[in-house]
Amino acid sequence: MREFRLQIVTPDGQQFDGMAERLIVRTIAGDVGILAGHTDYVTALGMGKARIVTGGEERAAACIGGMLSVSGGNVKVVATTFEWSDQIDVARAERSEQRAKAVLEEKSKHTAEEIALAEARLKRALIRKGAAK
Amino acid sequence: MAGVSAKELKSRIRSMENTRQITKAMEMVAASKLRGAQERALESRPYFETLYETMSDLAQRRQDDPSPFTLAREGNKTCCIVIAGDRGLAGGYNSGVLKMAYSALEGQDATVLPLGRKAVDFFRARGVPMLTQAHSEAAGISVGDCFSMARLLCEKFLAGEFDRIVLAYTNFVSLLNQSPAVLELLPLKAEKAAEKPSHTVLYEPDSASVLRAIVPEYLGGLIYGALCESIASEQAARRTAMDAATKNADEMIDDLSLKFNRARQGAITQEITEIVAGSEA
Repeated sequence: MREFRLQIVTPDGQQFDGMAERLIVRTIAGDVGILAGHTDYVTALGMGKARIVTGGEERAAACIGGMLSVSGGNVKVVATTFEWSDQIDVARAERSEQRAKAVLEEKSKHTAEEIALAEARLKRALIRKGAAK
Repeated sequence: MAGVSAKELKSRIRSMENTRQITKAMEMVAASKLRGAQERALESRPYFETLYETMSDLAQRRQDDPSPFTLAREGNKTCCIVIAGDRGLAGGYNSGVLKMAYSALEGQDATVLPLGRKAVDFFRARGVPMLTQAHSEAAGISVGDCFSMARLLCEKFLAGEFDRIVLAYTNFVSLLNQSPAVLELLPLKAEKAAEKPSHTVLYEPDSASVLRAIVPEYLGGLIYGALCESIASEQAARRTAMDAATKNADEMIDDLSLKFNRARQGAITQEITEIVAGSEA
């Protein structure tokens, strides 16, 4: 299978730089798959599981926010959060999920801002848990 | 014995030694903090650079089809994010970036978003309106804070409350060199206006919604990157300043010790002379 150069960077450092065969990420308009020879392309990333096939092996990751750009055959994922499935702290995600659920169960006690934060936290926790499996 | 007494010299030496101990300790603390901060700054750099490159590329391609983010505006309501330190004794670090931000805002209808206690104090003293004083501790700002700040700024920018958004921070060039800089964040500017893109880029779902989703992320990423650079710069500047202070203290202690020894020797010589003179009489 043909390969393309894939770079994945986050504020915490570079997560990947090398050749890949296939990349599947969740964008704001749904999942997209990128193969070698893709036309120049820019989109914003949503929240979801990303899958990368490199050297015949598939790796999963939690990928949240940021952008995806393809330019001249180079693919760049500039993500706010990008965690490989084996690096995800599942226990932490679970704690965060429970905290968020506790807030959402008693909506009347919290401000709209707190509820929005809890919803976002719950979403992130669920994506992390989903990607870690 | 000329001028100062031996007792006075002794107390001066002692106080100088105390000062030296403090500056030495501060230097060591800054050096150890610097290691972590430098690592963080270097790690976030690829993200910072890729983001900036892609966005200016995007802005350039969008010239024929302006969006509210790329269009230059007539007004001069400027919001300036200023990143400075929480504490002094860091050489020219705080004054460098604050003066630069202040002169960049001259003649503008300015609002600042200060990060760090020194920045808050500086703009309060000069009566510049502040968006929020919530971030008076630069060391405690997380990635999440940067992104929520960015979302707020984007909303205000689109609502027309600000016409320009700029960022003043300190670039970490090397351990011995840090330079303050002012970066224009919004509206997005194409770097080279003359160069026409040779091929079209596919935006999904469309370029306007892509920009709307990406710009807050872009702003947040840049603020976080600038914060990392600034924190590393602060520690480096403090380390250099404290190193110089320690060296100066060493020099003064040497100088005073010499004077003290001379005074002591002078007193002994005088005593002997008096005894000899007394026995001869």
